[in-house]
Formats: sequence, C-alpha cells, structure tokens
Amino acid sequence: MTLLGEFALWISLPVALWGMVLGYTGGRTQRGDLVLSAERSVYAVFGLLILASAGIMTAFLTDRFDYYYIANYSNRELELFYKITGLWAGQRGSLLFWALLLAFFSSLAVFLNRSKNREFMPYVAGVLQTILAFFIIVLLFADVNPFERLGFTPANGQGLNPQLQNYWMTIHPPTLYLGFTAFTVPFAFAVAALLSGRLDARWIQLTRRWILTSWLFLSVGIVMGMRWAYEELGWGGYWFWDPVENASLLPWLTATAFLHSIQIQENRGMLKVWNMSLVLLTFLLTVFATFLTRSGLIESVHSFAQELRIAYIFLGFMGSVLAASIILILYRLPQLRSENQIESFVSRESAFLFNNLLFVGAAFTVMWGTMFPLISEGVTGQQISVGPPFFERVNFPIGLALLALAGIGPVIAWRRATKKNLQRNFMTPVIVGLVAAATIWIMGAHHPLALVTWGIGAFVLTVIVTEFWKATRARARIENEGYATALFHLVSRNRRRWGGYIVHVGIVLIFMAFAGAAYNVDERFHMVPGDVAEVTSPMGGTYQLTYEGLSVSLANGQRNLMWQAIATISVVKDGEPQGILTTEKRRYTTQEAGAPPMTEVGIRSYVGEDLYLILSALDDIEGAVAAESDAQGFDLQVLIKPLVSWIWIGCLMLTAGTLIALWPSVDRKRLAEAEPVAEPATAGAAD
Amino acid sequence: MRKNGRFMVGLVGVAAVVTYLIWTGVSETMVYYLTPVELMERVEADPTFRDVGVKVSGQVVKGSYERVEGELLHRFIVHDLVDASVTFPVEFRDALPDTFTDEVEVVLEGRLRADGVFEAATMLTKCGSRYEAAPEDLATDGTAP
Repeated sequence: MTLLGEFALWISLPVALWGMVLGYTGGRTQRGDLVLSAERSVYAVFGLLILASAGIMTAFLTDRFDYYYIANYSNRELELFYKITGLWAGQRGSLLFWALLLAFFSSLAVFLNRSKNREFMPYVAGVLQTILAFFIIVLLFADVNPFERLGFTPANGQGLNPQLQNYWMTIHPPTLYLGFTAFTVPFAFAVAALLSGRLDARWIQLTRRWILTSWLFLSVGIVMGMRWAYEELGWGGYWFWDPVENASLLPWLTATAFLHSIQIQENRGMLKVWNMSLVLLTFLLTVFATFLTRSGLIESVHSFAQELRIAYIFLGFMGSVLAASIILILYRLPQLRSENQIESFVSRESAFLFNNLLFVGAAFTVMWGTMFPLISEGVTGQQISVGPPFFERVNFPIGLALLALAGIGPVIAWRRATKKNLQRNFMTPVIVGLVAAATIWIMGAHHPLALVTWGIGAFVLTVIVTEFWKATRARARIENEGYATALFHLVSRNRRRWGGYIVHVGIVLIFMAFAGAAYNVDERFHMVPGDVAEVTSPMGGTYQLTYEGLSVSLANGQRNLMWQAIATISVVKDGEPQGILTTEKRRYTTQEAGAPPMTEVGIRSYVGEDLYLILSALDDIEGAVAAESDAQGFDLQVLIKPLVSWIWIGCLMLTAGTLIALWPSVDRKRLAEAEPVAEPATAGAAD
Repeated sequence: MRKNGRFMVGLVGVAAVVTYLIWTGVSETMVYYLTPVELMERVEADPTFRDVGVKVSGQVVKGSYERVEGELLHRFIVHDLVDASVTFPVEFRDALPDTFTDEVEVVLEGRLRADGVFEAATMLTKCGSRYEAAPEDLATDGTAP
C-alpha cells in the first residue's frame, strides 16, 4: 500500500503537468476535447494524491519505521488517533496533505462548474494544475519526500512530541490548510478572467462563496491555534507574534480586505485592479505561510534547521507567479478601468477604501516586523529583531481604527453621506460608546487602551443592534409578523448583509476580550499541602485556593506516559465552593533523558474571567514520584485572565455569521435582482 | 479632480501614519540579535552596550542548570553555538518552558549585567516539537538519544 502510494505520487506529477499544458492551450484554441482532458486530469491528480496519503497513513498504522517520516513522528505506543493524524504532524506529511486538500478543492471547483462558466474553466483547470504540479515537485525534489527510506529499520520510532498530543493541535493545522488551499480557487478564477478577457465582476460573483469559505477556515484555524497555545504552552498567552503565527495572520488580513473591497466592485464597478492585486497578494501569502512554517528561514519556536533548497524553490515559484500575474494585469489594464469615481470623502466607498488601506497597512507592518531580522541582516550585516512590543504598538492603533470602521461602514450612505444621514445613524451609538467608556472608568478600570477598545466596541455593537432592531420593526409592521418571525425572514432574505453584521459582532467581542489582557493577574506561591493562596480578581471577588495534596500515578509507558504528578487544589470564590482544579507535571517515555517533565495547566472558565493554575516546579521530583509524603511542595503560579472566554464566543459568532452568509439562498433570483441597486443608507453592507 | 485630490490626501495620510508607526515602533523596540561571541566583543569594545537590550542565542551547558527553591529563579550557563569555550551565566526569573532541557538551544532576551551575569527577561527554546533526529540517531535504539 505504501509503495503504491509512493508510485501514485510520482505519477501525479506528469498528470498535473499534462493538465496544466492542456488547460492553457485548450483555453486558447477553444478545443473542447483538450479542455475536457485538462479537467479530468484534475480529478486524476486528486485520486493519485488520495492514494499517496493513504500510503503514508498505512505506514503509520503498520509502524513502518523504515520510513524516515514515520520513524520521526510515531512509535509503537502512540495512540491510534495520533497515528491517523500523523499525516500532518510534521513537515513532509503536511506538504503532502496540503497538496491533497488543494487537489480536493480543485476537483470540487471543476465539478461544480462542469457545465457552466465555460469561458473560465480551461484556464481555471490550467492554473490549479500549475500550482498542484509545483507542490508535487517540492514533495519529490526538495528533500521533503515523505516516502524517503532510512535504509535500515529502527526498533521503534521517536514518538510524537507530547505538546502536539492535544486535540486542538490535531485540528488546527488542517483547518488552516483548508483556508490556505481554498483561496487558490478564487486566485485561479482571477487569472482565468485575465486570460480569457472577461473582466467584469463575474469572476467575483462566482468565487464569493469560495472566498468566504477560505476566510472562515482561516479565521477558525487561527483561533484554534490560539486555543492550543492557551491550553498547552502553559504560560497563559494565546498569541506571541511568532513568525509562524504572523504567517497565518498575513493572508487573513489581506483576504479580509478583499472580502470588503469586492463589494465596491460589485456595487459601483470600481477598484478592479486593486481587487486583482489583492487576490494575487493573498494567494502569494498563503504560499508564503506554507513556506514559512516549513522552513527555518526565520528564528521561531516553530521553525527548525536551515533547508535552503526548499527556500529557493518556494521563492522561485512565488517570484514567477508574481511576475506572470503583474504582466497579465498590465496587459489587461485598459479593460480594468474604473466605471465610477468616488464622489465624496464621507461615503461608504470611502469607508471601505480606508478599511482596505488599514488592512493592507496592518499586513505590511506584520510582514515588516516578521522579516525585519532578515532585512536588517541583509542591509547592515547585523541581525536586529523586533518582538511583540513592536507588533502591539503598531497594530493596536490600526486595529482600533478598523474596529471603528466596522461600526461606520454599514450605515454610512453610498456615494455621499448627508449631514442628516450621519446624525440619524451615529448620534446614539457615539453617545452609548462614550457613556460605556465613562461607566467603566468610574467602576475603576483606567487603562487607556482598554477603555478606548471597550468604548469603540460599545459604539459598533449599538450600530449593529440598532440596524437589526430598525429593520425587524419595519418588517414586523409592514408584513404584520411577530418580531421573531420578522427577524428570521429579514436575515434569510439578505443573508449576506445580516450574516456580515453577525460576523462583525463576533469580531467586536474578540477585540473587547483582547483588551481584558490589560487586567491580567499573575501571582506566585510556594505551596505545601494545607496551604491557602488568596488571589483577588480585577473583576471583583477573591479566590481561595487550598492545596489538597499531590497524587502520583505511574503509567509505565501506556500512551507513552511514564508518570503523572497531579496537584489537587480546591477552589472557593467569595465563600462559594467551586470544586477542585488540578495542574500537573507529566513525564513521557519519548522525552529525552534529563529533560524536565511537561506541564499541564488547570483552567476554570467563567463568563467574566478564567482562573489559570500552573504547576511551575516541584520541589523534589524524585521524591514526589516515589510518593514521599514530605515531597509534595511546589511553586504555584496563579493567573487570572479577564474576558478570555469571549474570544472563543466571538469566534463562534463569527462562524455562525459566515455560515449564514454562505448558505445558498432559497430565493436567489429575487435576490440577484434586488441587490445590485443599493438602497441608499442600508443595503448590501458588510460581508 | 478636487475631490480626487482630497482623497489622495486621505490615502497619503494613512500611508504616512502606518510608516510613522513602523518607524517609531522599530526604533523603540528593536533588539540586537547576537551570538555570545559577538556580545562579548561588543561589550568589550563599548561597555555602555550593557544597557542595550539584546537577544542572544546559545546552548545550555550540560548539567549547569539549578533552581533556586521557593523563588521562581533559574540559573544556568550558556555557551556559544560555534565556540563552546565562550560561556556566560544566566539568571531567568519566570516559569521554565517545558521544552527547556540540558543542552537545549535557547534564545534569551535581556541584558548582560556588570557582574557578567546575563539577566534574561524572556527565553525561547528551539521548539522540540519540530525536532527531527538525524538518521544516525535512530539507528542506535529507536528511542530519543
């Protein structure tokens, strides 16, 4: 099976190249047989990559340690679940998995358009096969072939790093990869539009759902990564501005910009070149993200040793795509002229444009900070790096401006906002925002950035709630419906708009939760059984943490565990018992000799805050493992993290909103007629 | 045309603000990224360099780690990745990352005190999760070296 998989991977390369050549020539010559063959080759590559992936999975399940990749990421004792997900546990498998997902989306795109949009499809197939061929070439020729043999068979594998043995870590990478690969389809359509010369908004309409799907996966994937870091890395943070995190944020930023700017093209026929550039940029950034995670170019906790060959291959590919796309855009420039002009500074077009500039600006700053060590080394020969303080200083103001725009954009009029429009829509929300900030200030929270964030958040929420309320009331009155029915009908009639608003609510909640970090509490205690630590929460209330004792269990190698030392702490909040919370040290058989044990934190989530306990260090590890009663002392770190739950809640809202916007419309025809002519002030807003 | 002109002012404004943010951000938060050898050379050439925040990469000397009980303080010695004879002691006052081991590669951020001890404010370990063994290591017994 594994051998068959390897064979399938080799075969997939000529098939992909075949499809690539036929796609382009078929499109040029308009020969149906060539086009059909190109499209079928997409399915074929997908089938072959399924075989290749199945080969790797079989190797994992049958403990084939003579394969380099399996020997490095598995061992006999590894749980079945992690053997199955081993396909994307390491670099080599991940790249294959990436190609597999891309082939899946490519096949889906070809299948969905098998009998329509024929002017685009030959080129779409050609572009998709070009990118697939590139990834297959990387797999086969860049020293990252997952099928590479060791030449001997080790008795057992290295096992999987314990920190990767976490639920979130098994679904976070695939989710991000789904987001990255799904974006290839809009890119393929954009190039197809350039090649075929059909340059109206058609390619955007066709790929809107692809863009949203990709964006959803990217957003959820990023938040899952945050969740993993929060639960597993044991320092209570969820974002470190690590190069790899930044790499996944970059395409998200430009994709979000794109999501907004296509609405201007659809509604007003402007920004055509800009949209082409954004789709190209986002695609390149998804490839860049794949490349960054998978090479040691930049110092990072995620990256490892230098692999120069793969760096050159990736950079060469990105350079070629960039050059080819720019040439195409320049060639079509006369047809990409704007149909309208911006009439007023105070208009929705203008709000969208600022939104775009800020998103791209944010992406630029993140890119700059991430690449700065390389740039400085190239220019001065001295590596200088910037850390989290840089990213925070630069991106907080940009983020806040974007947050404010999320409240302004949806209700400001297209073309030209009148004074009356502004007064009617913004008077109340602005007052609510100011009152909210003032109230929080009086309640004792004086951190300026947090106050500004919460004030702007309240402003945006008021704008959105008012929009929902006004429209629901109007509909209830006109159609004579109950409010709940009216709301339901309202949302289902224009999913795009109202779904978009719900996404905005989610984003606002996430931002407001970020600001909670200004009030993080971090206290340390030395504890022996019976000790009580008292920690006061900034949200009011006091925790009494009583150390009940240490329990040790020896696992003797099951699930790769050697032993677990679990500190049990009973929690009382303001006199109310809250049950027990545990934090532990674990030692795995796969850890290196002499390495300290791994930490598992204890988290109790409340609506307002999380209580986060870390077993920093045991006084006497050997004694504790031998269950000596006087060896139970340890250092306890207690964190209180206000509002963290709202990040996850916000992400759920964002998902719900995007799904609403994505859901196929029942009444699509009527919608299509209603949408292009925007009613002033309200229609066709955020997406 | 006038409207476009006004618009251009907006665009240039945004670009200028972003540039300003990057500029001040870099100049106020940048740290030099040095090897221990480079750090020693710098400090020797210019003693005021001690007050500049630096990032240093190196490797923990085997067996040098000790923990000061009761207060979250860790002491260990780090040597240069290339020239193992260049070493300096480190004090780190925070929870130790799980990936910290003997002989692990670390990136420390902090400053070199006058007494020659490097006071690290943050420590990154080269992530063990992506550690791949060289084939020779696997040959011995299959478990980690």
